[in-house]
Amino acid sequence: MVVVPISTGAGEALLLGLATGPVCLASCGPVVLPWMLVQPRGVRVQARQLSIFLAARLSGYLLFAATVWLAGSVIPRSWSGRSWLFGGVQVLLAVGLLVYAAGWPHTRCSFADSSADGSSRLVQIDEPPRSHRSRSHRSGAVTLGFLTGISVCPPFLVAGVRAAQLGSLADALLFFAVFFFGTAVWFAPFVSLGVVRRSSSFVTVARMVAVLLACWYAFAGGSVLIERAIYG
Amino acid sequence: MASRVLARPPAFRSVGRSLLLTLPIALWSLLMFTPSFREPGRDRHIGSLAVILFMTTLFFLMMRTGKTYQWRRWFFVALGLLFPVGFIASLVAVRGTMSIPVERMVSGDTPFCYMVIPMLFIPAALARTIIFPGSILPTANNPHSIAIMIGIWLAMTLVVGKGWCSYVCFFGGIEEGFAAIPKRARIGRSVRKLDPRLRLVPWAILLFVVVLSAALFEPVYCMWLCPFKTVTEYPAVHSVETALQMGIFITLFAGLVIVLPFLTKKRTQCAYFCPFGAFQSIFNKINLFEIRFDREKCVDCTLCQTACPIMALSAESIREGKTLMNCMKCGACVDSCKKSAAVWHLKGTKVALKPERARLLFLYGAWAMATMFGGSILANSIATMLHWLPVK
Repeated sequence: MVVVPISTGAGEALLLGLATGPVCLASCGPVVLPWMLVQPRGVRVQARQLSIFLAARLSGYLLFAATVWLAGSVIPRSWSGRSWLFGGVQVLLAVGLLVYAAGWPHTRCSFADSSADGSSRLVQIDEPPRSHRSRSHRSGAVTLGFLTGISVCPPFLVAGVRAAQLGSLADALLFFAVFFFGTAVWFAPFVSLGVVRRSSSFVTVARMVAVLLACWYAFAGGSVLIERAIYG
Repeated sequence: MASRVLARPPAFRSVGRSLLLTLPIALWSLLMFTPSFREPGRDRHIGSLAVILFMTTLFFLMMRTGKTYQWRRWFFVALGLLFPVGFIASLVAVRGTMSIPVERMVSGDTPFCYMVIPMLFIPAALARTIIFPGSILPTANNPHSIAIMIGIWLAMTLVVGKGWCSYVCFFGGIEEGFAAIPKRARIGRSVRKLDPRLRLVPWAILLFVVVLSAALFEPVYCMWLCPFKTVTEYPAVHSVETALQMGIFITLFAGLVIVLPFLTKKRTQCAYFCPFGAFQSIFNKINLFEIRFDREKCVDCTLCQTACPIMALSAESIREGKTLMNCMKCGACVDSCKKSAAVWHLKGTKVALKPERARLLFLYGAWAMATMFGGSILANSIATMLHWLPVK
């Protein structure tokens, strides 16, 4: 195995992160966007939520780097556990999106209520207490961030290959950390969502998107797992 | 006597004045279709002539009666019904099948559909990639290139805003046709009582397909959700995945485009599903024309709300004298208003000051676009039908 010195590896990790950032942005965007849109308005609030999300994503990265390095080999495309991990993460993302972004902990059914123009309301979303709300938001950012951190997207796989070629565990972790910062730069524009005016319609749309995406992830992950279970 | 008066309402304009106002559209139609008379083929000539007469007559009737919706509907339903005829016939003639072979996709021969436009922006910005298996510029095999269709979309959107959905979209006419069949809505009351938040579903689908298309680098709506794949082209069914896609297309088409419009007399797919309609709603903000309500005349009878085919009116919006953002300017509310409270309005002018002038200005632009785009589709479809008909 070719061992790459970390001095060259760090620069390469940063460049790799910066170069593949748009792909990371596109692949994590479906999770981040609806999540950020259901958060309260304000650049600071959004920046805090994004920071928590990214920190959780970093921890996912580092966990993956450590696993890769300890496994002592690169993760090839043919790695048998890859589809299990990919499918499992997709299904967990679906559950996470449904639970957190759709506001499930604070939803009660109320079929009796009526809106202004006489239409029945299917679901009434309660406003939770402030402390409860922020705790729930934090846990949502942590869960979704971590799950996107361990999802095996193409740039992540490339970084994994290089990390496994490094001399020590510390080097592998450093490689992934630097790679993470390269990709994280691309997430900065999400903070600007904080200036977008929040109306009830806006939040409803964001929640509908989260539910649709959850369905998609459940389908994508579920079909991978089923295929794997059938064909081995 | 009363029924006679109701059956034959007084003409809105004199014949002479109506003809004079129709003259620009007649000239425009001639300008659009004269080149086709230089091409060989009697079928094509007949098709073009029929469209010139059809579009000019309908515009004349709009001028003469002062009604917009019912005459526009003739054109729109004809477009919706004839577009698949011409399109499918050309697919079968060129490929022998409605399905898209993989080699056609690879060579960029897939005709571009405007539904893809919202999904193109993010991948184009992030990776300089067009996520559609078509060609940017026209080719011999594919004249409906991406650049041409985006150019047409942009021009028309600037002129009509979301009016696209009632003067240009060749899919909307199909469900408007099914909605026009029954005399009364079977479940119209239930639709009006639906949760108003369901009107937000097209926005959610729009955002969903936009972000997911960026993540997967493929037009997700076309791959998984477009009901109109049933009557246009679709990926060849060769696996469980493609069979599932086809199942979704057919279910959505049957439910949203045939059954629900028939039962509700509403354009349910446009109102509760179409992401492109939501996308076009954004352009209503920059479009010069809109429908407003003169609150001094309005008696809150809600006839307009009942007439609106895409639920673009709510009690609250009428109280504010406006439509909702998704109004497609079909004119149904204006035509149904017995107090003339619903009016066409040119932004920046006083509401109800000269509504007929605003209507005329809008209709000239919209009808010219409809003649150019929809008219050429109609002419092509008529020529195709004449070509395939056994009797010459």
